[in-house]
Amino acid sequence: MREPNAIDFWRGLALVTIFVNHIPGNTFERYTYSQYGISDAAELFVFLAGWSIGIATRGRDGSPEPRLKTVLRLLSRTIEVYRAQITTMALALGMIAGTALALDNPLLLEWHNAGGFFADPIQTMVGFVLLTHQLGFFNILPLYVVLLGIAPVFVLLARANRVAALALSFGLYGASLVFAWNLPSWPGEGDWFFDPLCWQLLLVLGFVAEDWNRRSPWLRTWSVRLVPLGIAIVVTGIVLAVLEIRPDPLLVPEPRLLFTFDKTYLTPARLIHFLGMLLAFQTLYAVLAPRLGPVTGYLAGLGRNSLAVFSIGSLLSLAAQLVRFWTGGGVFVDVSVVGSGLIALGFTAWFVEWRSRKPRPSSPPA
Amino acid sequence: MALPQAAALLAASLILAVSSLAASADPAAPAGPVTVVSPPKPGPGNDGAEALDVSLSPECRVPGSKLYTLARLGAVKLALKEKRPVRVLTIGSSSAGLGASATYPVKLETALERSLPDVDVVVESRGMQGEIASGAAERLRNMVAEVEPDLVIWQVGTHDALARVDAEAFASALDETVQWIKGHEIDVVLVTPVYTASLASDEYYNTLVRKVQEVALREGVPLVQRYEAMRYLSSQGQKGEGHLLGSQFRLNDLGLRCMAEHVTRAITLSLLQADPAVTGTAKPPAAVIVPPRDAAVKAASPPPPVLIAPGD
Repeated sequence: MREPNAIDFWRGLALVTIFVNHIPGNTFERYTYSQYGISDAAELFVFLAGWSIGIATRGRDGSPEPRLKTVLRLLSRTIEVYRAQITTMALALGMIAGTALALDNPLLLEWHNAGGFFADPIQTMVGFVLLTHQLGFFNILPLYVVLLGIAPVFVLLARANRVAALALSFGLYGASLVFAWNLPSWPGEGDWFFDPLCWQLLLVLGFVAEDWNRRSPWLRTWSVRLVPLGIAIVVTGIVLAVLEIRPDPLLVPEPRLLFTFDKTYLTPARLIHFLGMLLAFQTLYAVLAPRLGPVTGYLAGLGRNSLAVFSIGSLLSLAAQLVRFWTGGGVFVDVSVVGSGLIALGFTAWFVEWRSRKPRPSSPPA
Repeated sequence: MALPQAAALLAASLILAVSSLAASADPAAPAGPVTVVSPPKPGPGNDGAEALDVSLSPECRVPGSKLYTLARLGAVKLALKEKRPVRVLTIGSSSAGLGASATYPVKLETALERSLPDVDVVVESRGMQGEIASGAAERLRNMVAEVEPDLVIWQVGTHDALARVDAEAFASALDETVQWIKGHEIDVVLVTPVYTASLASDEYYNTLVRKVQEVALREGVPLVQRYEAMRYLSSQGQKGEGHLLGSQFRLNDLGLRCMAEHVTRAITLSLLQADPAVTGTAKPPAAVIVPPRDAAVKAASPPPPVLIAPGD
């Protein structure tokens, strides 16, 4: 188990933010940073995933591991994430259907995109395993599966030439914005909630930034010099979010996705805002970590076990939604569900690490 | 020997007879609604006496006043006048699932094309996650910009109800979004969320349904009262059937078909309405807005399977 570090810490914070934001309408939602900017925790999560790939595919001295090993490592992670998505979706559908039965309430069956599954189980079952049918709030992992699946291309290309990897990534991003390319949903019209063709840019940026940050003093100097720019962007984001100022998507010129604020396509406004956040808060961990006491350890623990914590977190936020609906909500309910959820997330992280420490006689040592 | 042959002959002739019957019934079907496309008698309030809307399938029949309020649909009329395809964007939890021909968007397209002969109707459907009061209104704008429809049919309120968002916040976000859509010369039809017996006495849920009605009235857009229609149908169909969770909880075909028919009917009548210089038609008779207050009384007995299953 590694010591708390900035990456795990911020990833833990992103996980907590996603958990709270996935209980819509709850009291604490307005205290998450997502309400005060154009981008949100999803950007941070994907960027840090790219950063971790950079760390994972190198030795301690920074020398890259053999190519085949990297490809197999990413493949194995892809399978792991796919498995997590299938499991959480199945449990979520079971929770929704079970609650609908228990409360005698078919309204629940129309829960964010779940209706398709219950109305058209045959088609939707196929979409379910193909990841083309996604429940609302359960659409980050499908993105992650695709990103990890295509990551070897970028990782290996970046080893030969980082600029080429960045150019490929930016090119795909730009073309997807201009032509509105996205993966289709099926059954059901429309596209993926998170467009992998656009969001791959954040993963690649995270991966390349990790590499550059490690070996380039120039980048480190300049990123510190640009802190004021980052702060200016963050302040602008707060103003725009609080005053609800945003471009009217029917009034902006074509290609519209270059100008709108659109989460699906990670439009440039969101990207710029996220990069501004990155600049503004890059040194904050060193300031916060010693002052936050056990909170630092807690968040870093979540971040170290992000897949398990994210999966359990999605189910917990669904459970919290159902409880809020059933009880009618209110501050007391919100404090209870969010509080117990945060404890359960901490337990999940602890439990995963306990399991991996514990010798398992039934399975051969890894 | 002769017997099986005779039986086969009999069967064949039966099939022929049935299919010719069906064939003769078929041409009537598309023509039917056209002739009936006249506003129902404006039942002056006493909905007990009001006739059912016979243009609907028997199992979906509801008095007009329980079903919709009408208003002008300028953009659709313009498309009709210019003889171009009418682009419809349907949004809401029921819109997901176009894989099967059985689902709501397909039914809607079929029903609309039958009701508006010689008009090409293109229905795009989008499921939507999130609450109107928070991110979903923004997402809707992006969807509208992507599809650029003439008409948005918006089944709204389910997710906000599930998240128990503040009713006022919901209403003002909905109002603002409807204004935005109308401001871009795009028509809107609002559809209220489902009726279900277990929520009939839920004061919050009823408030949210009323908010949708209020916004439709305030903004002068047609409203399909899915809630009211389902409540009406459920109160009619009492056959003392037991409460069988299994059969009640199927999101079945009929519910979707009724909704498609109801929406189509409201659109057809709204198109007809705008014709004369009756601008006042945006305001329906007062009796039309039936607040779902007395719902609890009727809900005492369980609705028949068909209804609960409305599926969206």
